[in-house]
Amino acid sequence: MDVRSLYAAQQYSALKPAFEAESLAGEATSGPSLQDGVKEAVGNFTDVLNKSEEFAEIGFKGEADPHALVEALTKSELAVETVVAVRNKVVEAYQEILRMPV
Amino acid sequence: MSMFDDAMSVTMSGLKAQATRLRVITENIANVDTPGFHRKMIPFTVEPSKSGLIDQVEVGDVELDRSELVEIHDPGHPLADENGYYQGSNVSLIIEIADAREAQRSYEANLKMYEQTKQMTSGLMDLLRR
Repeated sequence: MDVRSLYAAQQYSALKPAFEAESLAGEATSGPSLQDGVKEAVGNFTDVLNKSEEFAEIGFKGEADPHALVEALTKSELAVETVVAVRNKVVEAYQEILRMPV
Repeated sequence: MSMFDDAMSVTMSGLKAQATRLRVITENIANVDTPGFHRKMIPFTVEPSKSGLIDQVEVGDVELDRSELVEIHDPGHPLADENGYYQGSNVSLIIEIADAREAQRSYEANLKMYEQTKQMTSGLMDLLRR
C-alpha cells in the first residue's frame, strides 16, 4: 500500500508542471502564444464593453445615432455571452480535476 | 467573432442608409406644394472598408433633381407672373410614396439579416453549454 501511494504521489507531481503551463496565471512555460491570445481577447472584451457604455451615456443625454447604439449594445451582449461560456468551461474543467480521487 | 462583427457592421450601415433615404423622402413629400422646390435625391455608394474584407454602404451628398418645375396657373397667387403662372415643385407624390415603400422593404430585409446574425452567434455559443 505504501509503495502504491508513493508511486501515485510521484505521478501527480510529474503532472504538475503540465498543468501549470496551461494555467492562465503568469510564468507560462508553454510559450507566449496562449497567454498573449488570452490577454488580447480580454482586452477586446473590455474595449467592446467600454464602447457600448459610452454610447449608452450619449443615448441617455440626447441625440445618439440609434443604429450605432443598437450595434454597440448587441456586440457587447454577445461578447459577455462568449466570455461567460468560456469561464464556465474553465471552471467545469477545474472542478472535474478536483473531483479526482486521491 | 470578427466575421460576425463585420456582418453586423454592414447591416447597420444598410439600416442607416435606408433610414436616411426615408428622411429625404419625407422632406420631399412635406414640400410637395412649396414653390420652387426641387426634389432631393441621395446616391448610395460603396465605402471601401478600412479593415477586413467587407465594404459598407455609404450615403453620398444630397443631389437635386434638375428636371423642370411644374407651372401652375393661379393668377391670384403672390408669386404669379404676368400670365398667371408660378412654378411649383417637381415632387410627384406617387413616385415618393413608392420610394418610401421600397425603403421600408429594404429596411425590413436588413433587420431580418441582423436578427439572423445574432441567432447564429448565440447558437454557436450555445454549443459550449452542452
